[in-house]
Amino acid sequence: MSSGVYLEKLAEFSSLLRREGLAVGVQETADAGQILSCLDLTDRETVRGALQAVYAKSREEQAVFRQAFDGFFVSLEQREALRRRHEAEARELAQRRAQAEQELRVNGKPMELREDLREVYVRMDEEKREQLRQMMERTRGLLGRNPEKLYGNFVRSVFTRFLLEQQMALEDAAVGVEPADPDLALLYRDISKFREADVPRAAALIASISRQVDAELSRRKRGRSHSGKLNFRRTIRKGLETGGSFYRLSYRRRRRTRQRLVLLCDVSGSMLQFSEFALRFLKSMSEASESSEIYLFSEEARLVDSFALQNMDAFRDYVRASGLFGRGTDLGSALEYLCRQPPAVLGSSTTLIILSDTKTINLPRAAQSLAEARRLAGKVLWLNPIPEGKWPYIRSIQTMSALCQMVPCSTLDELARACRKMMT
Amino acid sequence: MDITALRARLDAAHYIYDDELVTTLWVALKLGRPLLIEGAAGVGKTEIAKVMASALDRELVRLQCYEGLDESKALYEWNYQKQLLSIQVRMNRQDVDELTRSLFSDDYLLQRPLLRSIRSEEPVVLLIDEIDKSDEEFEAFLLELLSEMQVSIPEVGVVRARTIPFVVLTSNRTRPLSEALRRRCAYLYIQYPDLNKEMAIIRAKLPNVNEHLAVQVAQAVHDLRAADAILKKPSIAETLDWVSALEALGVSDLTPESARRTLGFALKSSEDMEAAGAVLSGQPLEGGHDHGHCGRCEQGQS
Repeated sequence: MSSGVYLEKLAEFSSLLRREGLAVGVQETADAGQILSCLDLTDRETVRGALQAVYAKSREEQAVFRQAFDGFFVSLEQREALRRRHEAEARELAQRRAQAEQELRVNGKPMELREDLREVYVRMDEEKREQLRQMMERTRGLLGRNPEKLYGNFVRSVFTRFLLEQQMALEDAAVGVEPADPDLALLYRDISKFREADVPRAAALIASISRQVDAELSRRKRGRSHSGKLNFRRTIRKGLETGGSFYRLSYRRRRRTRQRLVLLCDVSGSMLQFSEFALRFLKSMSEASESSEIYLFSEEARLVDSFALQNMDAFRDYVRASGLFGRGTDLGSALEYLCRQPPAVLGSSTTLIILSDTKTINLPRAAQSLAEARRLAGKVLWLNPIPEGKWPYIRSIQTMSALCQMVPCSTLDELARACRKMMT
Repeated sequence: MDITALRARLDAAHYIYDDELVTTLWVALKLGRPLLIEGAAGVGKTEIAKVMASALDRELVRLQCYEGLDESKALYEWNYQKQLLSIQVRMNRQDVDELTRSLFSDDYLLQRPLLRSIRSEEPVVLLIDEIDKSDEEFEAFLLELLSEMQVSIPEVGVVRARTIPFVVLTSNRTRPLSEALRRRCAYLYIQYPDLNKEMAIIRAKLPNVNEHLAVQVAQAVHDLRAADAILKKPSIAETLDWVSALEALGVSDLTPESARRTLGFALKSSEDMEAAGAVLSGQPLEGGHDHGHCGRCEQGQS
């Protein structure tokens, strides 16, 4: 292969990686070109390893890179197999098109059908086409004038359904595509789809992410810790060590006001898992853990003894023993309980965090109570486990999100981001 | 140097590697890029820098990162006491400018690892260990060094590298590193070795070890690492320690009893020890770590 051709391919590959979300610049492409010029291009594994070192800059990017590489650079055998397959598919498709031309006719005339829908018919499996043919056969003679149009409408409705099914199958397939790293897969999977066996791994993952976030936050806080005002006494005292010269200046520390967190966690039925994960995140962040007060609720709310949640592995047993699990959800009553508590639980320095999917009995009352809680608390934040794409179709979410800031937390990754954002 | 030559040098250093690792090392060397290595604690990230120093026959300059690390500890510091003394000795001289100039010369400059590595006459291997423990400000400060191989010292000006060091940065991923830093490096992620590689490492590091025992320990460590209940997974160094301890005790077969007595070499917390009992034998080990029989505890190193 001439150098011009492989550089062109390399530029295309860089562009593909960019589309896949990798930050690939001209420098990376130039590096890759330089490296390839020194390698035996028939040694696929070495080429892949070398390009990976140049293009992928994190473990996550490595997974993306490998998929992109395997899709872009196919071996000779693979290419030959692909060519044979494409040829066979093209032959079969041509045959099917000719057959469809014959089948999609009424009284010798072609049906009124769009070209793209005809193509859908061509690609349908034989079983479904047979069902359609039988249906048309049964209704033959029942149709009066303009049967071509009626058949066309009927076939179109069937096709629309077929297209929707195809779309859903594709989406499911995308969900099923797991990256090479099981932890990464867990991080981006819908929490409601977690299996029982995933919970310990998820807990370990949460602990690891929390440690990262915690370390980052404490570092940032320390970095911002001085107020910019000189501490004269300490500066002068330090200066004595260096013969009276003020070699190192000491600054006054910044006073920090710690925000108080009040967590209201829905633990009725399916919400238990999500609440457990969110609490694991928040409890393992020292900032949140030291300043938080936790309430659990289903049909009623209850303050949790912080000692009871020291061991989050026992959280489920605790909730089951509390009698809150397996009951309905009444957010309105829970919020009213919070607003009524003496001494005041909600105040201007309080952030109220609600962990719930917004499904509650008596929605108007819940909305009213939320408005009251918002008036009392400094800030109200709602962590919602329902994927954001579904929000426009759920009335309770529409109602509640108009009253407070709602954050999508359908995956551990989103939950981690939300917790990190909350603490900064 | 091509990949084959690099392989030969790593072989000569008795280092066990896989294709991905050697290819990445070669790419970093070839492009003159720093190499960022990430992976769990104890997978052998630091070892790579040591081996590269040995394989390339270069001096290893090490900078251990920690919270609060700043330029004065990493790059340079003026020898303040010496400067003060010099001022006092030459206080009555008239040539103030000359005195000032001389105070910021090499005589008063304390070179720290970064400066030492780029001012060295011979190329070195610079290991910046556990970069994730340093502050973000320090990470940003490194960018100039890593991309331009130069540093700016206000009193002296820009100091350009005399020789290009092979830079290895390691990170345990306790915090995400900036995109800017990542983009300047070749990247390598190391996982714990598989069973065969671990066996090869044991054979290379402990050539006289009982083969049967080595297989058993490697398998046990493999099982411990795979167990979710074990929080701090045993590192490669701990595997080697464990095998050595068993050998020292004259054990040739890893029974539950001998494992119980020596597990403290592989695991370092009582919770992990309890969980390990279930992992290794299906039954919790009574009493966990037996300090009375643990050689390391007796030496006060536990």
